[in-house]
Amino acid sequence: MTPWLRIIWSKATSIVRNDKLDREFDEELTTHLELLTGDLSRGGLSEADAKREALRKLGGPASLREQHRDRRGLPLLDALAQDVRYAVRMLRKTPAFTAIVTLSLALGIGANTALFSLVDGLLLRSLPVREPDRLVQVNVIPIIPGGFKKGLQSFDRTVFDDVRARDQIFAGVVGFWRLDRPTVAIDGVTEPTREVELVSANFFRALGVSPIVGRMPAPSDGPVAILSASLWQTRFDGSPDVLGRTLTVNGLPHSIVGVAPSQFHGFLVENSPDVWTVSPNGGDLMMVARLKPDVTPVQAQDAMQAYFRQHVLQRFRGALPPDQVVETELVPAGKGISPLREQYKGALLALMALVTIVLFTTCTNVGNLLALRSGARRRELTVRAALGAGRSRLVLQYFVESALLAAMGGVLGLGLAGWGVSIILSMLPLPAVPDSLAFHPDARILGFVAGVSLLSALLFGLAPAWRATAVDLSGSLRTSQGTTPAKGARRLGRVLVSCQVGLSVLLLVGAGLFVQTLRNLSNLDLGFSTDRLLQVSIDTRFAGYGARNVRSVDVEEDREGEVGAVYRLLRERVAAIGGVKSVSGSRNPLMRRSLARMAIRLPGLDLSRDDNWDAAEVGPDFFETMGIRVVRGRTFNASDYQHRGVYVVNEAFARHYYPNDDVLVKSPAIIGVVRDVRIFDVRSEIRPTMYEMSRPEPDRVNSILVRVTGDPAAIAPAIRDAVQRVNPRLFVGIRAMGEDVKRDIARERMVAAISSFFSVLGLLLASVGIFGVASYTVAQRTKELAIRRALGAGRWSVIRESLREASVVFSVGLVAGILAAVALVRLTASAIADLLFGLTPTDAANIAGSVAVMVAVALAACVLPAHRATTIDPLAGIRED
Amino acid sequence: MGDKLDILQGTLDLMVLRTLATLGPLHGYGIARRIEQISGDHLILNQGTIYISLVRLQERGWIRSKWGVSENNRRARFYSITRAGAKQLAAQTETWERVAAVMGRVLAVDRSDGDR
Repeated sequence: MTPWLRIIWSKATSIVRNDKLDREFDEELTTHLELLTGDLSRGGLSEADAKREALRKLGGPASLREQHRDRRGLPLLDALAQDVRYAVRMLRKTPAFTAIVTLSLALGIGANTALFSLVDGLLLRSLPVREPDRLVQVNVIPIIPGGFKKGLQSFDRTVFDDVRARDQIFAGVVGFWRLDRPTVAIDGVTEPTREVELVSANFFRALGVSPIVGRMPAPSDGPVAILSASLWQTRFDGSPDVLGRTLTVNGLPHSIVGVAPSQFHGFLVENSPDVWTVSPNGGDLMMVARLKPDVTPVQAQDAMQAYFRQHVLQRFRGALPPDQVVETELVPAGKGISPLREQYKGALLALMALVTIVLFTTCTNVGNLLALRSGARRRELTVRAALGAGRSRLVLQYFVESALLAAMGGVLGLGLAGWGVSIILSMLPLPAVPDSLAFHPDARILGFVAGVSLLSALLFGLAPAWRATAVDLSGSLRTSQGTTPAKGARRLGRVLVSCQVGLSVLLLVGAGLFVQTLRNLSNLDLGFSTDRLLQVSIDTRFAGYGARNVRSVDVEEDREGEVGAVYRLLRERVAAIGGVKSVSGSRNPLMRRSLARMAIRLPGLDLSRDDNWDAAEVGPDFFETMGIRVVRGRTFNASDYQHRGVYVVNEAFARHYYPNDDVLVKSPAIIGVVRDVRIFDVRSEIRPTMYEMSRPEPDRVNSILVRVTGDPAAIAPAIRDAVQRVNPRLFVGIRAMGEDVKRDIARERMVAAISSFFSVLGLLLASVGIFGVASYTVAQRTKELAIRRALGAGRWSVIRESLREASVVFSVGLVAGILAAVALVRLTASAIADLLFGLTPTDAANIAGSVAVMVAVALAACVLPAHRATTIDPLAGIRED
Repeated sequence: MGDKLDILQGTLDLMVLRTLATLGPLHGYGIARRIEQISGDHLILNQGTIYISLVRLQERGWIRSKWGVSENNRRARFYSITRAGAKQLAAQTETWERVAAVMGRVLAVDRSDGDR
């Protein structure tokens, strides 16, 4: 050990061992004194004199002990330990204060931690793979005439092998595919629902992910499987003898060769696979490639663009329009691939900003409480200062208390954060909570909590500490005003309450925008009634009807041509259920943002090159079932079902393409015009839409629509049974249309819920602050107010007098808050515009409403103090000291 | 008392080391008594300060201590010098002697100047 380390070690440990060391030193001194006394009395002194002389020669034991302790310990750390002990004592003496402060800090810290955890998981954290920054996802976007882009993310094995062969650009290309509802069995026993991802053989090796048990798949392997750490733990209790067991996916047996590390969940952020399987043959894959160190993304993009142009031309020669273009896109994949990310990025950042304001509010609240309390401790501080404690020592002592409060708030906040994350995740339209977004208090999260707690302690602790310790030595010891805060602390308290009011206004304005947005969306006229309308999601492909390239391996038979038959059968069976009024269907499910766009040439329709419109392929009785009003002409009938070639359009279509003519006359293929409705999603503008009758033999059908007369919840099980009896694999889910609408605006719902929760919290804290200022004024000016009463002042003038201070504090905060809110929404207007619907960020009504709420809350907070002021007994006031 | 010497800063450590090197393991009182005897009562020694010096020396690893039994059958801590301490003692003794020699010469010159 180097000398310095030894000294620090001995000093540091001595703090922990202080009591023992003190006892030992006492023992040494006792021995010393006895020996010295013995020698002295042998030298001729009387016993009493010898004792006295020995003490004189040795020095006072108490002071020696102090010196000894200082010498062996670190004086500063020692003082700190003493401060912590003292702070703990003080906090225990005022449990209510401690509880309120801790809880309020925990809310602030917890909210920030929860949001940080989500932002980190979705936007910041890189995947635990080697050099994630060099990874890109390969997407191809065929551009359909009309500028509508539809990205392709999956490719067959030929393309995959071609791309892999470009080893001058890519240092490894991996492929993966999430299986749709696979059947999984282990050792022949069927498992509950499991997430399975099919991956290329090089997947783990190329990403640099080493299994924690077993080995990586090797190129020479047959079908093998890697388990996720969580499946391994929950299903196999982390036993190593899982290796070599057989895992069957859709009937194909795989040998388990390893277990992936617990932090690794593959590329799809919203899905956490339980199993990765490698099998030499199989369907399409999504591709992620690793750029070679000297290759820039632009170079790689150019090379891929050249390849895909050529590839598309070769494979689809003649099948595509001549102006068909493809665009290649290399998307950074180091943070995983997440459809949710784009949709929720803005919302999460807005909420993060909001909870930051919440943290400031809680900090000012706590700062205010501390400042008020410092009044009660003024005398104690003065005594300490008089006894020689320097100001820095007093500030430190105060700050230790703040840090302790912040630490407790942080620990409790960590718990609240876990809770908050699960609440937020439950508000998202996710089938299951993915492990990659769930709350894991890892080093990053703990670091964040520690950082935020410390920052809070500095925010709310330092200023009051500095103020409170400015004690006038002579003053407060003599007077009886031991319980009034120092002037500086009072001023600080008022500033803090103003801040609270301002921050509350900010929160209110923000929450108002989001709540109004949600209200606008909820009250939006969809054009059809969702009442007693059910949507059954079905999957004809998954059940093996129609298309050949079904990814569920065990459905091998070709049932092309059976989709139409099963669709008819389903409609008949469901229509036969009691309480069902009408049944129809749609190729694409409604309210899932799943839409098709089309452009066709019709006689009488003028099209420019870029025209396209929304398209819906619907079953018989669609408009009747949905309750979409026919404006002109008619809808499809049974004979249209056979002949096709006729269309129904919406009013927007008629307006846009036939501004001056009668659409039905000009284009006879268009047989009817229906009302504008929102069937694809809630938010989007209504575009020109064309409905066509479903073909007798559609390639797939994904939605059955049912209007019922009775209680939808009571009929739903019967509908499910009917569908499952036709084919159990057909059924995906059944939901009231209203529920689908709700899910479509889940993001707005979440943002509105969270922001209003926190603005209520902010209001609560601000009203406590105002209440504090008002009641303090009344208490302090009791005597004066009593005299005024005695001299005949009216109730209102007394109230006005007693609330003067509070109203100044409030008005300053209010004005500052409004200014800050306007500035903030202006600054972030482009970012939050996407989150709003039906109002602008600077919406005047919203700001006015926020001010009104703030004023109302402030008035409510003043009721009690005002009442007290008017009930002061004039005589009691005069008698009071 | 007027002709007694105050202990120079840092010299107590050296005296303690020297004592322990000469006499072997001693308890605090033993060290104090020895220093007083050697100095022939020319030093003002607040015996308690010995212990402060002992903590300092022990922190630096120059001495070590062990609990033992004193003459009066009490538990006492016995201090002994370590190898590092012996090295330190040699080095500091040399430094001290050089300083003392220089001081002596400088003071002698001053005195002769003053005589002239």
